[in-house]
Amino acid sequence: MTGRAVSIELLWDIPIPKALEQTQGWVLCAMQWHGRELVNMLWRILGNEQDVCDAYQDTFLKLAHHEHGCKPENVKAYVFRSASNIAISILRHKLVEKNNLPPRITAQHNMNSPAAELDTRYMTEALRAGIAELPEHLRDVVTLHDLGDLPYEQVAKILGITAATARVYRCKAVQLLAVWMRKETR
Amino acid sequence: MWAAKAKTCCRQLRDRVLRLLADGFTPDRHWIQNHIANCPRCQRRLARLGNVELAISMLKSQPHNLDLLMRANTQAIGVLKHCLRTTAKAERLRNIRPDLSIIERCSRYKHSFANVAACIAIAILMKSGAFSSAKMFESKGQKAVENYYASNAGEDIARDIFTTNA
Repeated sequence: MTGRAVSIELLWDIPIPKALEQTQGWVLCAMQWHGRELVNMLWRILGNEQDVCDAYQDTFLKLAHHEHGCKPENVKAYVFRSASNIAISILRHKLVEKNNLPPRITAQHNMNSPAAELDTRYMTEALRAGIAELPEHLRDVVTLHDLGDLPYEQVAKILGITAATARVYRCKAVQLLAVWMRKETR
Repeated sequence: MWAAKAKTCCRQLRDRVLRLLADGFTPDRHWIQNHIANCPRCQRRLARLGNVELAISMLKSQPHNLDLLMRANTQAIGVLKHCLRTTAKAERLRNIRPDLSIIERCSRYKHSFANVAACIAIAILMKSGAFSSAKMFESKGQKAVENYYASNAGEDIARDIFTTNA
Protein backbone atom coordinates (compact mmCIF):
# COMPACT_ATOMS: atom_id res chain seq x y z
CA MET A 1 0.00 0.00 0.00
CA THR A 2 2.78 2.30 1.04
CA GLY A 3 4.73 1.28 -2.03
CA ARG A 4 1.79 2.17 -4.28
CA ALA A 5 1.45 5.56 -2.63
CA VAL A 6 5.11 6.20 -3.15
CA SER A 7 4.86 5.21 -6.81
CA ILE A 8 1.94 7.64 -7.33
CA GLU A 9 3.94 10.33 -5.60
CA LEU A 10 6.84 9.61 -7.91
CA LEU A 11 4.53 9.87 -10.89
CA TRP A 12 3.52 13.34 -9.75
CA ASP A 13 7.15 14.26 -9.47
CA ILE A 14 7.74 13.57 -13.16
CA PRO A 15 8.09 17.00 -14.71
CA ILE A 16 5.04 16.76 -17.01
CA PRO A 17 4.10 20.43 -16.59
CA LYS A 18 7.64 21.42 -17.50
CA ALA A 19 7.47 19.40 -20.71
CA LEU A 20 4.12 20.91 -21.62
CA GLU A 21 5.42 24.34 -20.86
CA GLN A 22 8.27 23.75 -23.27
CA THR A 23 6.02 22.40 -26.00
CA GLN A 24 3.38 25.12 -25.79
CA GLY A 25 5.52 28.00 -24.61
CA TRP A 26 5.44 29.36 -28.16
CA VAL A 27 1.78 30.31 -27.61
CA LEU A 28 2.88 32.81 -24.97
CA CYS A 29 5.77 33.90 -27.19
CA ALA A 30 3.30 34.58 -30.01
CA MET A 31 1.18 36.57 -27.58
CA GLN A 32 4.22 38.56 -26.52
CA TRP A 33 5.42 39.26 -30.07
CA HIS A 34 2.15 39.87 -31.90
CA GLY A 35 -0.26 40.80 -29.09
CA ARG A 36 0.03 44.55 -29.47
CA GLU A 37 -0.47 44.53 -33.26
CA LEU A 38 -3.34 42.06 -32.93
CA VAL A 39 -5.16 44.15 -30.35
CA ASN A 40 -4.81 47.23 -32.55
CA MET A 41 -6.15 45.37 -35.59
CA LEU A 42 -9.05 43.85 -33.65
CA TRP A 43 -9.93 47.21 -32.13
CA ARG A 44 -10.06 48.80 -35.57
CA ILE A 45 -12.21 45.99 -36.97
CA LEU A 46 -14.59 45.69 -34.04
CA GLY A 47 -14.56 49.03 -32.23
CA ASN A 48 -15.66 47.42 -28.97
CA GLU A 49 -13.24 46.44 -26.20
CA GLN A 50 -15.14 43.40 -24.95
CA ASP A 51 -15.40 42.05 -28.49
CA VAL A 52 -11.67 42.65 -28.93
CA CYS A 53 -10.92 40.61 -25.79
CA ASP A 54 -13.24 37.81 -26.96
CA ALA A 55 -11.72 37.66 -30.44
CA TYR A 56 -8.20 37.74 -28.97
CA GLN A 57 -9.04 34.89 -26.60
CA ASP A 58 -10.56 32.79 -29.38
CA THR A 59 -7.49 33.40 -31.56
CA PHE A 60 -5.02 32.11 -28.99
CA LEU A 61 -7.30 29.26 -27.97
CA LYS A 62 -7.40 28.21 -31.62
CA LEU A 63 -3.62 28.56 -31.84
CA ALA A 64 -3.09 26.42 -28.73
CA HIS A 65 -5.35 23.68 -30.12
CA HIS A 66 -3.98 23.79 -33.66
CA GLU A 67 -3.56 20.17 -34.77
CA HIS A 68 -3.49 18.80 -31.19
CA GLY A 69 -1.13 21.45 -29.91
CA CYS A 70 1.39 21.46 -32.77
CA LYS A 71 3.08 24.71 -33.69
CA PRO A 72 1.94 26.07 -37.08
CA GLU A 73 4.60 26.62 -39.73
CA ASN A 74 4.06 30.38 -39.78
CA VAL A 75 2.70 31.47 -36.41
CA LYS A 76 2.31 35.12 -37.39
CA ALA A 77 0.30 34.29 -40.51
CA TYR A 78 -1.87 31.85 -38.58
CA VAL A 79 -2.52 34.26 -35.73
CA PHE A 80 -3.32 37.25 -37.96
CA ARG A 81 -5.60 35.32 -40.32
CA SER A 82 -7.43 33.63 -37.45
CA ALA A 83 -7.90 36.92 -35.60
CA SER A 84 -9.14 38.64 -38.75
CA ASN A 85 -11.62 35.84 -39.53
CA ILE A 86 -12.91 35.67 -35.96
CA ALA A 87 -13.31 39.44 -35.81
CA ILE A 88 -15.17 39.53 -39.14
CA SER A 89 -17.58 36.81 -38.01
CA ILE A 90 -18.27 38.74 -34.78
CA LEU A 91 -18.79 41.90 -36.83
CA ARG A 92 -21.19 40.14 -39.21
CA HIS A 93 -23.13 38.72 -36.28
CA LYS A 94 -23.45 42.19 -34.80
CA LEU A 95 -24.57 43.65 -38.13
CA VAL A 96 -27.26 41.00 -38.46
CA GLU A 97 -28.42 41.77 -34.92
CA LYS A 98 -28.46 45.47 -35.73
CA ASN A 99 -30.46 44.92 -38.90
CA ASN A 100 -33.04 42.96 -36.93
CA LEU A 101 -33.66 45.91 -34.61
CA PRO A 102 -36.71 48.09 -35.31
CA PRO A 103 -35.96 50.89 -37.82
CA ARG A 104 -36.80 53.54 -35.19
CA ILE A 105 -33.69 52.57 -33.21
CA THR A 106 -31.32 52.11 -36.15
CA ALA A 107 -32.24 55.19 -38.19
CA GLN A 108 -30.42 57.75 -36.12
CA HIS A 109 -28.88 59.56 -39.07
CA ASN A 110 -30.33 61.60 -41.81
CA MET A 111 -28.38 59.93 -44.63
CA ASN A 112 -28.82 62.76 -47.10
CA SER A 113 -27.43 65.49 -44.90
CA PRO A 114 -23.84 66.57 -45.55
CA ALA A 115 -23.24 66.49 -41.81
CA ALA A 116 -23.97 62.76 -41.79
CA GLU A 117 -21.43 62.16 -44.53
CA LEU A 118 -18.72 63.69 -42.40
CA ASP A 119 -19.89 62.11 -39.17
CA THR A 120 -16.98 60.02 -37.90
CA ARG A 121 -19.13 57.40 -36.28
CA TYR A 122 -21.35 56.97 -39.25
CA MET A 123 -18.43 56.75 -41.66
CA THR A 124 -16.53 54.22 -39.59
CA GLU A 125 -19.63 52.09 -39.12
CA ALA A 126 -20.34 52.17 -42.85
CA LEU A 127 -16.72 51.20 -43.53
CA ARG A 128 -16.84 48.31 -41.05
CA ALA A 129 -20.05 47.06 -42.62
CA GLY A 130 -18.46 47.33 -46.06
CA ILE A 131 -15.33 45.46 -44.98
CA ALA A 132 -17.48 42.65 -43.56
CA GLU A 133 -19.20 42.32 -46.93
CA LEU A 134 -16.05 42.25 -49.06
CA PRO A 135 -14.95 39.02 -50.78
CA GLU A 136 -12.45 37.12 -48.65
CA HIS A 137 -9.35 37.77 -50.78
CA LEU A 138 -9.95 41.54 -50.83
CA ARG A 139 -11.01 41.70 -47.19
CA ASP A 140 -7.87 39.94 -45.98
CA VAL A 141 -5.65 42.53 -47.67
CA VAL A 142 -7.63 45.48 -46.29
CA THR A 143 -7.73 44.11 -42.74
CA LEU A 144 -4.05 43.17 -42.67
CA HIS A 145 -2.65 46.19 -44.50
CA ASP A 146 -4.95 49.02 -43.43
CA LEU A 147 -6.21 47.84 -40.07
CA GLY A 148 -3.27 45.67 -39.05
CA ASP A 149 -0.65 48.16 -40.27
CA LEU A 150 1.35 45.43 -41.97
CA PRO A 151 3.38 46.37 -45.08
CA TYR A 152 2.38 44.85 -48.43
CA GLU A 153 5.37 42.49 -48.37
CA GLN A 154 4.27 40.94 -45.08
CA VAL A 155 0.62 40.82 -46.15
CA ALA A 156 1.71 39.02 -49.31
CA LYS A 157 3.74 36.53 -47.28
CA ILE A 158 0.84 35.85 -44.92
CA LEU A 159 -1.67 35.38 -47.73
CA GLY A 160 0.70 33.54 -50.08
CA ILE A 161 0.44 36.08 -52.91
CA THR A 162 2.82 38.64 -54.38
CA ALA A 163 3.07 42.20 -53.04
CA ALA A 164 1.84 43.54 -56.39
CA THR A 165 -1.27 41.35 -56.21
CA ALA A 166 -1.89 42.59 -52.67
CA ARG A 167 -1.74 46.19 -54.00
CA VAL A 168 -4.20 45.35 -56.77
CA TYR A 169 -6.58 43.66 -54.31
CA ARG A 170 -6.42 46.67 -52.02
CA CYS A 171 -7.21 48.97 -54.93
CA LYS A 172 -10.23 46.83 -55.92
CA ALA A 173 -11.42 46.68 -52.32
CA VAL A 174 -11.31 50.48 -51.99
CA GLN A 175 -13.29 50.86 -55.24
CA LEU A 176 -15.95 48.44 -53.99
CA LEU A 177 -16.11 50.13 -50.59
CA ALA A 178 -16.50 53.52 -52.28
CA VAL A 179 -19.50 52.26 -54.27
CA TRP A 180 -21.13 50.60 -51.25
CA MET A 181 -20.56 53.56 -48.94
CA ARG A 182 -22.15 55.82 -51.55
CA LYS A 183 -25.17 53.52 -51.82
CA GLU A 184 -25.59 53.61 -48.06
CA THR A 185 -25.59 57.39 -47.98
CA ARG A 186 -28.37 57.51 -50.57
CA MET B 1 9.88 26.68 -71.62
CA TRP B 2 9.30 29.75 -73.79
CA ALA B 3 5.80 30.19 -72.35
CA ALA B 4 7.14 30.10 -68.79
CA LYS B 5 9.76 32.72 -69.63
CA ALA B 6 7.16 34.95 -71.26
CA LYS B 7 4.92 34.58 -68.21
CA THR B 8 7.73 35.64 -65.85
CA CYS B 9 8.53 38.58 -68.11
CA CYS B 10 4.87 39.67 -68.17
CA ARG B 11 4.64 39.41 -64.39
CA GLN B 12 7.79 41.50 -63.94
CA LEU B 13 6.43 44.11 -66.35
CA ARG B 14 3.09 44.20 -64.53
CA ASP B 15 4.87 44.61 -61.20
CA ARG B 16 6.90 47.49 -62.60
CA VAL B 17 3.87 49.26 -64.03
CA LEU B 18 1.97 48.83 -60.78
CA ARG B 19 4.91 50.15 -58.79
CA LEU B 20 5.17 53.15 -61.09
CA LEU B 21 1.45 53.78 -60.78
CA ALA B 22 1.63 53.50 -57.00
CA ASP B 23 4.48 56.00 -56.89
CA GLY B 24 2.63 58.42 -59.12
CA PHE B 25 5.47 58.69 -61.65
CA THR B 26 3.66 57.84 -64.84
CA PRO B 27 4.38 59.32 -68.23
CA ASP B 28 0.69 60.31 -68.50
CA ARG B 29 0.65 62.01 -65.15
CA HIS B 30 -0.06 65.50 -66.50
CA TRP B 31 -2.66 64.18 -68.92
CA ILE B 32 -4.42 62.38 -66.04
CA GLN B 33 -4.32 65.49 -63.86
CA ASN B 34 -5.72 67.67 -66.65
CA HIS B 35 -8.45 65.15 -67.38
CA ILE B 36 -9.54 64.94 -63.76
CA ALA B 37 -9.57 68.72 -63.49
CA ASN B 38 -12.10 68.89 -66.35
CA CYS B 39 -14.12 65.69 -65.88
CA PRO B 40 -16.90 65.85 -63.26
CA ARG B 41 -17.48 62.09 -63.40
CA CYS B 42 -13.86 61.33 -62.53
CA GLN B 43 -13.94 64.01 -59.86
CA ARG B 44 -16.92 62.32 -58.21
CA ARG B 45 -15.22 58.94 -58.38
CA LEU B 46 -12.03 60.31 -56.85
CA ALA B 47 -14.03 62.02 -54.12
CA ARG B 48 -15.69 58.70 -53.29
CA LEU B 49 -12.31 56.98 -53.10
CA GLY B 50 -11.12 59.82 -50.91
CA ASN B 51 -14.08 59.20 -48.60
CA VAL B 52 -12.99 55.60 -48.10
CA GLU B 53 -9.42 56.65 -47.36
CA LEU B 54 -10.77 59.23 -44.91
CA ALA B 55 -12.92 56.61 -43.17
CA ILE B 56 -9.91 54.27 -42.93
CA SER B 57 -7.78 56.99 -41.37
CA MET B 58 -10.63 57.82 -38.95
CA LEU B 59 -10.81 54.17 -37.96
CA LYS B 60 -7.07 54.12 -37.39
CA SER B 61 -7.05 57.29 -35.32
CA GLN B 62 -9.62 56.11 -32.77
CA PRO B 63 -7.73 55.30 -29.56
CA HIS B 64 -8.53 52.44 -27.20
CA ASN B 65 -7.99 52.22 -23.45
CA LEU B 66 -4.38 51.80 -22.42
CA ASP B 67 -5.12 48.65 -20.44
CA LEU B 68 -6.82 46.84 -23.35
CA LEU B 69 -3.78 44.71 -24.16
CA MET B 70 -3.44 43.73 -20.51
CA ARG B 71 -7.11 42.77 -20.29
CA ALA B 72 -7.01 40.85 -23.55
CA ASN B 73 -3.90 38.95 -22.42
CA THR B 74 -5.48 38.14 -19.04
CA GLN B 75 -8.62 36.81 -20.70
CA ALA B 76 -6.69 34.78 -23.27
CA ILE B 77 -4.24 33.30 -20.74
CA GLY B 78 -7.20 32.35 -18.53
CA VAL B 79 -8.34 29.74 -21.05
CA LEU B 80 -4.92 28.22 -21.74
CA LYS B 81 -3.55 25.12 -20.03
CA HIS B 82 -2.77 25.36 -16.33
CA CYS B 83 0.94 24.82 -16.89
CA LEU B 84 1.04 27.82 -19.21
CA ARG B 85 -1.09 30.02 -16.94
CA THR B 86 1.33 29.68 -14.03
CA THR B 87 4.53 30.59 -15.87
CA ALA B 88 6.46 33.77 -15.23
CA LYS B 89 5.96 34.83 -18.85
CA ALA B 90 2.19 34.55 -18.46
CA GLU B 91 2.38 36.70 -15.36
CA ARG B 92 4.41 39.31 -17.25
CA LEU B 93 1.87 39.28 -20.09
CA ARG B 94 -1.00 39.71 -17.64
CA ASN B 95 0.63 42.84 -16.27
CA ILE B 96 1.95 44.18 -19.57
CA ARG B 97 1.84 47.93 -19.96
CA PRO B 98 1.62 49.70 -23.28
CA ASP B 99 5.31 50.57 -23.31
CA LEU B 100 6.55 52.48 -26.28
CA SER B 101 9.27 50.95 -28.43
CA ILE B 102 12.76 52.47 -28.41
CA ILE B 103 12.08 54.21 -31.73
CA GLU B 104 8.82 55.68 -30.42
CA ARG B 105 10.46 56.72 -27.16
CA CYS B 106 13.30 58.41 -29.00
CA SER B 107 11.01 60.04 -31.55
CA ARG B 108 10.49 63.12 -29.37
CA TYR B 109 14.24 63.72 -29.41
CA LYS B 110 14.53 63.29 -33.17
CA HIS B 111 14.67 67.03 -33.83
CA SER B 112 17.43 67.46 -31.25
CA PHE B 113 19.32 64.50 -32.75
CA ALA B 114 18.94 65.98 -36.21
CA ASN B 115 20.21 69.37 -35.01
CA VAL B 116 23.23 67.86 -33.26
CA ALA B 117 24.02 65.72 -36.33
CA ALA B 118 23.74 68.78 -38.58
CA CYS B 119 26.06 70.77 -36.28
CA ILE B 120 28.63 67.95 -36.25
CA ALA B 121 28.46 67.66 -40.04
CA ILE B 122 28.91 71.42 -40.44
CA ALA B 123 31.84 71.42 -38.00
CA ILE B 124 33.53 68.54 -39.88
CA LEU B 125 33.00 70.23 -43.22
CA MET B 126 34.29 73.56 -41.88
CA LYS B 127 37.33 71.96 -40.33
CA SER B 128 38.30 70.01 -43.43
CA GLY B 129 37.55 73.01 -45.64
CA ALA B 130 39.49 75.43 -43.41
CA PHE B 131 42.56 73.19 -43.30
CA SER B 132 42.67 72.59 -47.03
CA SER B 133 42.17 76.33 -47.65
CA ALA B 134 44.97 77.20 -45.22
CA LYS B 135 47.37 74.85 -47.01
CA MET B 136 46.42 76.28 -50.37
CA PHE B 137 46.81 79.82 -49.03
CA GLU B 138 50.26 79.00 -47.62
CA SER B 139 51.59 77.52 -50.88
CA LYS B 140 50.20 80.38 -52.97
CA GLY B 141 51.65 82.96 -50.57
CA GLN B 142 55.03 81.31 -50.71
CA LYS B 143 54.97 81.35 -54.50
CA ALA B 144 54.01 85.03 -54.54
CA VAL B 145 56.91 85.94 -52.20
CA GLU B 146 59.30 83.83 -54.29
CA ASN B 147 58.20 85.66 -57.44
CA TYR B 148 58.67 89.00 -55.67
CA TYR B 149 62.21 88.12 -54.62
CA ALA B 150 63.00 86.76 -58.07
CA SER B 151 61.89 89.94 -59.79
CA ASN B 152 63.53 92.38 -57.32
CA ALA B 153 66.61 90.60 -55.94
CA GLY B 154 67.32 88.13 -58.67
CA GLU B 155 66.42 84.54 -59.35
CA ASP B 156 69.60 83.07 -57.81
CA ILE B 157 69.01 84.72 -54.45
CA ALA B 158 65.33 83.78 -54.45
CA ARG B 159 66.20 80.17 -55.27
CA ASP B 160 68.82 80.11 -52.50
CA ILE B 161 66.39 81.49 -49.91
CA PHE B 162 63.41 79.29 -50.81
CA THR B 163 65.33 76.07 -51.46
CA THR B 164 67.13 76.41 -48.08
CA ASN B 165 63.78 77.21 -46.38
CA ALA B 166 62.09 74.29 -48.08
